[in-house]
Amino acid sequence: MSPRNLGLFFVFSVLNVCRLVLSDVGNVIASDSAENLKQVSDPSPPGSAGANSPPVFKPAVDFAFPLSLLSSFPEDLEISEYCRELLAVFGQRYVAYANCLVPAARPVKVCQNCFSGFGSLKEIYTNISSDKVGPVNESCRDSLLHSDRLMLVYLLFSSVEDIWKKSACDQCVSDGYQSLNNGTLYFLDVLNETIACFEKYRQGNLTELCTNCKSFYKSLNDLYGQKEQNQSLCIDLEDAMNMTRKLWSKSFNCSFPREETVPVIAVSSFMLFLPIIFYLSSFLHSEQKKRKLIHPKRAKSSTSLMNIQDKQS
Amino acid sequence: MANITKKVSWSSRGDEAGAAWEGTPLLNGSERPSVSRQDSTSWKPKEIPHNEKLLSLKFESLDYDNIENQLFLEEERRMSFLGFRCLEISRWVVCGLIGVLTGLIACFIDIVVEKLAGIKYQVIKENIVQFTEAGGLSISLILWAVLNCAFVMLGAIMVACFEPIAGGSGIPQIKCYLNGVKIPRVVRLKTLVVKVFGVICSVVGGLAVGKEGPMIHSGAVVAAGVSQGRSTSLKRDFKIFEYFRRDTEKRDFVSAGAAAGVSAAFGAPVGGVLFALEEGASFWNQMLTWRIFFASMISTFTLNFFLSIYHHKPGELSNPGLINFGRFESETMAYNFYEIPLFIAMGALGGALGALFNVLNYWLTIFRIRYVHRPCLQVMEAMLVAAVTAAVSFIMIYFSNDCQPLGPDNSEEYPLQLFCADGEYNSMATAFFNTPERSVRSLFHNPAGTYNPLTLGLFTLTYFFLACWTYGLSVSAGVFIPSLLIGAAWGRLCGILLASIAQADSTWADPGKYALIGAAAQLGGIVRMTLSLTVILVEATGNVTYGLPIMLALMTAKIVGDYFQEGLYDIHIKLQSVPFLHSEAPATSHWLTAREVMSSPVTCFNKVEKVGTIVDVLSNTSTNHNGFPVVVQVSDNDEPAKLCGLILRSQLIVLLKHKVFVELAQSRLTQRKLQLKDFRDAYPRFPPIQSIHVSQDERECMMDLTEFMNPTPYTVPQDTSLPRVFKLFRALGLRHLVVVDDENRVVGLVTRKDLARYHLGKHGLEEMHLAQT
Repeated sequence: MSPRNLGLFFVFSVLNVCRLVLSDVGNVIASDSAENLKQVSDPSPPGSAGANSPPVFKPAVDFAFPLSLLSSFPEDLEISEYCRELLAVFGQRYVAYANCLVPAARPVKVCQNCFSGFGSLKEIYTNISSDKVGPVNESCRDSLLHSDRLMLVYLLFSSVEDIWKKSACDQCVSDGYQSLNNGTLYFLDVLNETIACFEKYRQGNLTELCTNCKSFYKSLNDLYGQKEQNQSLCIDLEDAMNMTRKLWSKSFNCSFPREETVPVIAVSSFMLFLPIIFYLSSFLHSEQKKRKLIHPKRAKSSTSLMNIQDKQS
Repeated sequence: MANITKKVSWSSRGDEAGAAWEGTPLLNGSERPSVSRQDSTSWKPKEIPHNEKLLSLKFESLDYDNIENQLFLEEERRMSFLGFRCLEISRWVVCGLIGVLTGLIACFIDIVVEKLAGIKYQVIKENIVQFTEAGGLSISLILWAVLNCAFVMLGAIMVACFEPIAGGSGIPQIKCYLNGVKIPRVVRLKTLVVKVFGVICSVVGGLAVGKEGPMIHSGAVVAAGVSQGRSTSLKRDFKIFEYFRRDTEKRDFVSAGAAAGVSAAFGAPVGGVLFALEEGASFWNQMLTWRIFFASMISTFTLNFFLSIYHHKPGELSNPGLINFGRFESETMAYNFYEIPLFIAMGALGGALGALFNVLNYWLTIFRIRYVHRPCLQVMEAMLVAAVTAAVSFIMIYFSNDCQPLGPDNSEEYPLQLFCADGEYNSMATAFFNTPERSVRSLFHNPAGTYNPLTLGLFTLTYFFLACWTYGLSVSAGVFIPSLLIGAAWGRLCGILLASIAQADSTWADPGKYALIGAAAQLGGIVRMTLSLTVILVEATGNVTYGLPIMLALMTAKIVGDYFQEGLYDIHIKLQSVPFLHSEAPATSHWLTAREVMSSPVTCFNKVEKVGTIVDVLSNTSTNHNGFPVVVQVSDNDEPAKLCGLILRSQLIVLLKHKVFVELAQSRLTQRKLQLKDFRDAYPRFPPIQSIHVSQDERECMMDLTEFMNPTPYTVPQDTSLPRVFKLFRALGLRHLVVVDDENRVVGLVTRKDLARYHLGKHGLEEMHLAQT
């Protein structure tokens, strides 16, 4: 287990504690398995954060017994009922989230459609990974997360979390995974207006579309540029914008045409012409630089090439 | 008018061979000195157009050889053991200072260029975006051209009007200096200032230039300045490092400075040392090498340190160099055995293209020397080049249909959309609308498919001619980056073509790898450096495994290129008429002896010489000799006298200035004895003889040269062959070599210009002319 992972767990634990403190004030999270949570989110004093200790492994204990599929382990090594329950809930939510993700792959709507799924999945994982002691006086973190080499639960969650991070959904979803944030909703509004406009004029003349929808498209484009500047884009918005731009530029052909070829060519050929004039005039009017030859003092007159060649031959 | 002058042949050797000496028989001149004296008086100065087969009188040798006169011996006796240890330590301190200052200068240039270029491109980009929509792109073009012109004009005025020697990359000049030629004003503070600001202007002005070559010159100037402990320009003397105020020490430090400059420019400390070794190889010892390496290392890491602060990552020392090639570490960057022949072929192509570049630049430079020699014309030319560069770039971008989707990480600094679809950028613009360094990096590292072959082909073609046209303008600018850029462009093109030939699933033909080899081959084909360039490139890529392909490419490039034309720096050295001594005497010159090479008769002084005579000889503008054998007359007749020492013009001038006359010494017993310090104080700008006033009475006084002359000058007998003399000059850094007969009588004097005039031409051994420039 690398130090990085330890750090990760520490962060999770701290997050969990913070969240629990919040929920203590009355900000109870709506969830489909509230009963389970009730047990889990038994509020603990914030001071327990200090009691965080790095997970302890007991490989020696694991290997003390011969491995066999049939045999069941003695009571003290089995995971508790409580942890088993947590694991089951994790499984349910995982499946739900995956089911949500796959249809949202194209066109990309992974943030819009599945943010709540991720929220609940993350919540249960946070519970599992917290070092808070359950009803049977043991932490599920050790038993579920890393008592073996594979660390399946951790692996599953980290892959999901990777998808979440890559899609940058955090930029579009409000804190607590309750809803999409205002900026995203506004952007989607503008986007829908633009698409509606496209639909409206699509059948007719495309140049008409270009002129009529230009204001919508432009405001959408500007909004996008703005959001790009302050990095508040998630994959959903990027993909939607990409598609819109493709429609606009490629399908409807509304890009700027190359119109002013003549003035550009005129100006640049004028510039290209200048050096020719310059070199010609300096060749004709500037007096050629001459070098004065100097006769060196020589013992003998073998300085000329002819003599050298004579001597060589 | 000009049509007539045009008819003057490039070299007027043909008609002169018969004219001047047709009556002079092939006689040993030592027997008939009067003949050649008559010749020289009847000789009318002849004017020919400038060409490469000239040696200029304005260049002199450095006095690398130590003058072991009595003053020197006295000083050495006085100096304690501790004194010598202090000297050694202060040499190290000087090298450290050179490294730090060079690194700082590199850092300054880098940051200022980045800032100014950023502003420029931002302004133009906004303008283009605005006019793409509203119409009127020709205004953007004019804006771009005007901005370029303004910057370049600033740089060109500085160079053309204030310090012409600061023009170009400065590498030819430093090469000459390390070879032992004193190039006037090359290591002055003013040159450094003009160089630094000039290079900023020309890079920001969008010319096809780089800022790496000038760094080498800057490092050399820093070294020459720091090691002297004073600035003659600023009239400040810090009274430190006084011992180093002579050519021998200064030249060693300059080699350290050049190395520090290379290492700052490319992040290649070892390459820097090898550059100094390759260019100044004749005067080396281990301690000097080690010190130079120290200076290089310090320079790289000073630059790293300050750039890390600038990039808000203080203390991170692992991102070296002005030009950073980035890391070549991905899987596809590995190369295979079967690619070696491809690399060699690319080397050959680089050599051929480099030779073409050099030939074109050679003709252009000759034209410039002959016709574009007035400062105002030079400034105008530079501005025109800037405007045309902008115009050509703009046309290329305007008519390019190569659109690429914007990358997720926004690797393009200033993406231009122009007529591309939204969300895409113009691929031609990444190559043209950028500082050359960034273009090189994007050619190396952008993923396959970023450029389409047509874009690359057009870019190579235009940039080749632009770079060729730009080098030699009177702006300070280097040729390294443009060469790398041209090479990277066609190298990448090769990579793309290979990839399209190869099977679809093979990934070996990564365009970035071929861009690197192409860049190496092109650079090698143009500058023809070998060892140091290989190491510099390997260090700049940070990947030792590329050593072999880069070496092979450079080797082939040099072999192929040398078949057609010399290296660019050698061409420019020749065109500046510098008496440059190559590492070997020209082949087939063993039959030439010192008797034929030497100058004769020699102007000698007696051991005790009349002041009037000395003043007259020194003020004779037509001869301008620098070293004078000191002789004792054996008999009264006209026979040459016996040699007993050698004295330099600079020493005589100091002696005259301090009026060290025999009569005065007798009358004023209290007069302070002249010390070596007095000579050092006058170094390096000895006053001209005209500024020293000698009254009529003083002219009759006598001067005793015994104490000051070098009593043991190197001499050779008359029959020594040219290669033997040549070796002495190269190995000992000589300035004067006295030719004596078997009775130690002075017969002639060999100097650098006597040796440098022989070169191997198309028709065997040829001889260059001395000329006044």
